[in-house]
Amino acid sequence: MELSLSNHSSYPRIGDDAEHQLLRRTIAQRDKGEKTDDAVRAAEDRMTELALAEQVEAGLDLVTDGQIRWLDPISHLAAKLSGVRLNGLLRFFDTNFYFRRPVVEGKLERTGPLLLEEFEFAQEKSARSVKAVLTGPYTLARCSVNENGGAGGFDKMLEGYTGALAAEVAALAAAGAKVIQVEEPALLKHPDDFSRFEQSFSALAMSKDSAQLALVFYFGDPAPIYDHLQTLPVDLLGLDFTYSPDLVDRVASNGTARTLVLGLVDGRNTRLEDPAATARQLEKLARSADLNRAYLSPSCGLEFLPRDRARQKLKHLAVIRNTFLGSPS
Amino acid sequence: MSRAKLQELGIDLPLFPITAVGSFPKPDFLLKARADFAKNRIRLGALEKAERQATEFWIRKQEGLGVDVLVDGEMYRGDMVAYFAEHLDGFEDGGLVRSYGNRYYHKPIITDEVHWVEPITLEWWKYARGLTSKPLKGVVTGPYTIMDWSFVEFYPDRRTACLALAKEIRQEVEALIEEGAKIIQIDEPAISVRPEELPVAIEAMHIVTDGLPAYFITHICYGAFEDIYPGMLDLPVDNFDLETSNSELDMLELFKKRRYTKDISFGVVDVHTHVVEEEQVVEQRLRQVLEVLPKEAIWVDPDCGLKTRTADEAIAKMQSVVTAAKALRAVTSDK
Repeated sequence: MELSLSNHSSYPRIGDDAEHQLLRRTIAQRDKGEKTDDAVRAAEDRMTELALAEQVEAGLDLVTDGQIRWLDPISHLAAKLSGVRLNGLLRFFDTNFYFRRPVVEGKLERTGPLLLEEFEFAQEKSARSVKAVLTGPYTLARCSVNENGGAGGFDKMLEGYTGALAAEVAALAAAGAKVIQVEEPALLKHPDDFSRFEQSFSALAMSKDSAQLALVFYFGDPAPIYDHLQTLPVDLLGLDFTYSPDLVDRVASNGTARTLVLGLVDGRNTRLEDPAATARQLEKLARSADLNRAYLSPSCGLEFLPRDRARQKLKHLAVIRNTFLGSPS
Repeated sequence: MSRAKLQELGIDLPLFPITAVGSFPKPDFLLKARADFAKNRIRLGALEKAERQATEFWIRKQEGLGVDVLVDGEMYRGDMVAYFAEHLDGFEDGGLVRSYGNRYYHKPIITDEVHWVEPITLEWWKYARGLTSKPLKGVVTGPYTIMDWSFVEFYPDRRTACLALAKEIRQEVEALIEEGAKIIQIDEPAISVRPEELPVAIEAMHIVTDGLPAYFITHICYGAFEDIYPGMLDLPVDNFDLETSNSELDMLELFKKRRYTKDISFGVVDVHTHVVEEEQVVEQRLRQVLEVLPKEAIWVDPDCGLKTRTADEAIAKMQSVVTAAKALRAVTSDK
């Protein structure tokens, strides 16, 4: 049996030593007029390369660019669309991390690529396949303020985000992205809104071409809507197992029609999982899910951890896999 | 209403008591001292001297503005959780994580059983009290927030970690009370973030406050109040200090649907904008809360600590709070 290893999405863009403070330092210097925007881009490039190298060194099969250039998962995409201005800070779900809240005050339109350049840079620099990662339209809409008025304002906003991201998915697929991940944590806070979500996601999925589309949920318990999620047009379904003691049993008993991205390693806590206990969870899941095609992954992006701990977590994925497969780690 | 409790404690406050939430911006000389200390250019004594000087600056400033219940301004703290983690046994420094944009903080790790070893804030509270004859709040970070903003490695789950911290934080509260603190604020900004854990936070607050002779305030901000109201009223405190301006006073709609039963420290200025609210804006916010809650229950303050503003902005925002509260006090007190 094989079980692939994947990073989730983000990776710390800072560490405690001078080398890993390059980006913070350069941005601070740029803000004081001492460095240029080009210098910031060069620092982002360098930190992206370091993030890629650490993922490869950890033995991952599928890596990300670490979202090093992102100020947060919402404004990085929304601010590039027309019809949006950014407002004050708001807490990102149940974290102690804050994002700039988009205010939608006009028609949402994609006027150029959102992530394409970042993806192409990472793919060129990486020794492993790079997964493109986007925050999904439903989550973007839920995290935005609608000032575009009128009846059905939220639905119009969702439609606008969906159209813009569908075009980006198409562009990423055309650029050679083999896996495109769409993250939709907001649905777990609004499970009764599944029909609306389904409509949006189905429209997005139509533009994936030959790429594999991964739909990923975190920061909540997906068990109550697990059966609904199985009906969505996705190739990969990513689940955060850290919020629910019952999710492993639910998946094991209900099975899966989708290839799973198994967020069994807690991306929010520094404590390393007991490899034997996690291997037992994998054994239970393997009874009903084909893990040959599945990925073992952190439960969420790793930028909620200090860099040294994030690196340990990635290396721990291989330890758990080896324990599960019965090989020495 | 807890006016009777305040009177029992010997505290006589005017209508619409004016207070600050906790932190004020560090003056430039203190920022420089902190940077120098971090680079080993000055000794601890020199840093503490600058911290005392800054504390006195803010005590004098609050008195001059006409604040009724003062705070020490937290000149000695960096991060509100890291400061307590540094002084409790059982924590390790966990390295940098991002707060927002290009801002980062050291997030502590609970690696062992937590223990309160000695008073953490007491010496600063005593120093500030010596500078003023006005009531001075003791301000401590609450166990739920310390737990939520730390990595929990030692304890098997979040609840166990939170309750263990509660027992230790109670000792800090007892130390403050023993020294004469009568108004104590337990900061719990994280409490509204996981509504399903509100019972844990309530259990912890009981451990911190039960049976202790003080008027207790809890400060909560930037979360989904609609998900924890009215359940949060079960927190055993006398006063909720709430961020209300930033959320456009939407708490009042909740209070209209389900009666609010405690005192409130009503945030009337937004701390995350450089814009200083005009007096009329602040007064209008106060009039809106007066339509919903009895005047005796209302305290007035900013939404949150002002440490992210410049000193001039913080002073101007406090001035708006004071002016509006006093104006309303003048026209309301006889009614």
